[in-house]
Amino acid sequence: MSDSSSDGGKWLDAHYDPVAGLYTFSSCVDLADLSGDGESRLVVGDLGSGLSGMKLKVYRGTALMSESTLLDLPAGLVAFFMDLHEPRIPAVAVASGPCIYVYKNLRPYFKFTLPGLEVNTLEQDVWQQAREGQIDPLTLKEMLESIRKKADISLSVRSLRFLSLDTSDMDEFVQLHKQQPVRRQTVITCIGTLKKSTADEDGVSCLVIGTESSNIYILDPEAFIILYKMSLPAAPTLMDVTGQFDVEFRITVACRNGNIYILRRESDKPKYCIELSSHPVGLVRVGKNVVVGCTDESLQGFTQKGKKLWRTVLPAPIITMATMDLPTRGFQAVLVGLANCEVQLYREKNLLSTIKTPDVVTSICFGRYGREDGTLIMTTKGGGLMVKILKRTAVFDDRDSAPGPPLAQSVRLNVPKKTKLYVDQTLRERENGLAMHRAFQMDLSRLRLAAAKAYVKALESSLTPMSSSLTEPLKMNAVVQGLGPSFKLTLNVQNTAACRPVMNLAISFLYDENLYRMKCSYMRIPLLVPGLVYPVETFVECTSDKGISDIIKVFILHEGKSSPLLTAHINMPVSEGVTLN
Amino acid sequence: MGLLDKLSGWLGLKKKEVNVLCLGLDNSGKTTIINQLKPANVSVFCPLSEEWKHVSQTQAQEIVPTIGFNIEKFKSSSLSFTVFDMSGQSRYRNLWEHYYKESHAVIFVIDSGDKLRMVVAKEELDTLLNHEDISSRKIPVLFFANKMDLRDAMSSVKVSQMLCLENIKDKPWHICASNAIEGEGLQEGLDWLQGNVSVQYIE
Ligand SMILES: Nc1nc2c(ncn2[C@@H]2O[C@H](COP(=O)(O)OP(=O)(O)OP(=O)(O)O)[C@@H](O)[C@H]2O)c(=O)[nH]1
Ligand SMILES: [Mg+2]
Repeated sequence: MSDSSSDGGKWLDAHYDPVAGLYTFSSCVDLADLSGDGESRLVVGDLGSGLSGMKLKVYRGTALMSESTLLDLPAGLVAFFMDLHEPRIPAVAVASGPCIYVYKNLRPYFKFTLPGLEVNTLEQDVWQQAREGQIDPLTLKEMLESIRKKADISLSVRSLRFLSLDTSDMDEFVQLHKQQPVRRQTVITCIGTLKKSTADEDGVSCLVIGTESSNIYILDPEAFIILYKMSLPAAPTLMDVTGQFDVEFRITVACRNGNIYILRRESDKPKYCIELSSHPVGLVRVGKNVVVGCTDESLQGFTQKGKKLWRTVLPAPIITMATMDLPTRGFQAVLVGLANCEVQLYREKNLLSTIKTPDVVTSICFGRYGREDGTLIMTTKGGGLMVKILKRTAVFDDRDSAPGPPLAQSVRLNVPKKTKLYVDQTLRERENGLAMHRAFQMDLSRLRLAAAKAYVKALESSLTPMSSSLTEPLKMNAVVQGLGPSFKLTLNVQNTAACRPVMNLAISFLYDENLYRMKCSYMRIPLLVPGLVYPVETFVECTSDKGISDIIKVFILHEGKSSPLLTAHINMPVSEGVTLN
Repeated sequence: MGLLDKLSGWLGLKKKEVNVLCLGLDNSGKTTIINQLKPANVSVFCPLSEEWKHVSQTQAQEIVPTIGFNIEKFKSSSLSFTVFDMSGQSRYRNLWEHYYKESHAVIFVIDSGDKLRMVVAKEELDTLLNHEDISSRKIPVLFFANKMDLRDAMSSVKVSQMLCLENIKDKPWHICASNAIEGEGLQEGLDWLQGNVSVQYIE
């Protein structure tokens, strides 16, 4: 009985019974005021073990109020107003197999069976022969198999079951069934409701059913006759209905061929088609848009005309989906139950909140339960029942959590109009493209040539601070210290050879004698051991007081060779003092 | 309180005015309880004075869900109560806090048959107790675990457990099981309230 922290404290945990024994899907859960006392009840079509224990269960608050046995597996359940009688108490329709069972005041009231389908006449003839004993079961099997291969009307369930039997069981099966006429039945796959003529909350509604035979039927709520029949290219599995039968309506169905079809009142064929890249597993409507969950772990939004609006990727496969509609607060969103024990709430493609559940949620229903409008009811894979109530003060942030292009990107730039100059230039470029390209290539070649020449010259005159000669690999850098007029010049000379010392070197300076004075402009360098840095220091005196400077060239020479090994140009700083003498 | 005042209080000549705020979820029975506390017949208990004319002072015949709030007045042996009967519907619950300041006591009504919404009642109670106009004051809080006549009603002990009433340490509080339709349990609650409210607020 405390707030769960994972969802940001938006929900109150009203009830959790992990062993409620409710095994169901969202299509078999509904909320309705079944007693007319202003308190909504939870109506559940329980699938039991799938083979037995199918039940219609009604909960009031935290307690199971009533349960009654269902004859077959429920495919869908809806509460709807079938008449105008007072007090206004809705009936419950449970679709299972080819039938709809209608309950009023929780007592069986009416059973509607879908019309049989056309039976293959050849199949009928063969069974006729079997009944008269003209053919034995093995011949019957052969004949039915050949009919199955070529016939465009598929075989009845009876024949199909017969074909699947072992030879030993065939005789008994024929004896048991041969007296009954051959019938072909379809089954209901999904069910929904459609308001007849008013949009009122308690207006009379038609039932809308989808069948395995790829049809949609609309049934009259009072007479239970088929008002409308529509055909689809494939069997429908999920359905959403909106509008009013007498005015305008729209039926959105997800089909087993992976497409979604939108049917309108005017036509008995689909009006729009949405082709999905993977199979739909959930379909709900939010406002005018349709939100579809797919097996590729995505949630996609479409307009009512089938135009794709957005797509978002989910962290896990979808188990079930439901709409969260809170008209008193003008809030609409989609609840998605995921295989990783989370129920996520999306408005459009934005994740608003996540509810962590102790088990995988298989059915979700949001609406008025008891006296509370914002109640979330979930059942789990293990048969648990969980009820959460939205806090009165809960607000959902409408922040766009999905990373996308920044807002600035969609702001239109104020691009100026094309000027005359721009147009002229463009024209010129278009006309003289070839000549311009040639001129550019020519200039580029010249530039490369000039660069290569300069490089060669630098190499030839050893104008680099590194000697690349193989016998005397040398490195030198120069440091000037002092403010003037006297400067200290330090030359760091290094022999970069691996092991050979260098001998017989000398340093010579070349400078403007009107500006600078040096004690000696020629020095001998001692033997250079490889790797060590030898600092060679000397002093330079600036003789000018005009505040000008010049470069001093340094050459490293080898005795007996005319070209220098290294050349360096030192940019002397401006002297900031005056000579004393 | 002077001796004379006390005396007049005992004699019922001069009564102290107490503002009581009646809170709780919708359908919990607030209006039914207040209605029971009012005298059945006007002339016997309190003659109509000018200022009370606009306020209904007799028991209503039929009780409908309250819209917004109602103001009711009635007297006990020593006090004269002005009760603000607030609507419990969620869209009106934000009105509650506007009356916290001038109230001298709170009556909080719970439908003991509504297990599902006990969390909602707790949430609203916690919001009330944590409100700045209430949390700092030692005002008495009286709980009615109402509808005890219902078959699946929870006991008042169970209700106080679910609401975690033992955590209220800084205010006098009391819980009574009640049946507002029959009027059972109401007097016990009112007696407690009378005793506690006078200690705190009436000099
Ligand atoms: N069985 C039973 N029913 C009660 C009791 N008290 C009130 N009720 C019924 O509960 C319903 C709601 O009572 P109200 O007094 O209108 O409730 P409220 O708290 O004033 O509701 P709001 O005005 O909507 O906030 C009425 O139908 C009452 O008859 C009780 O002790 N037992
Ligand atoms: Mg009321």
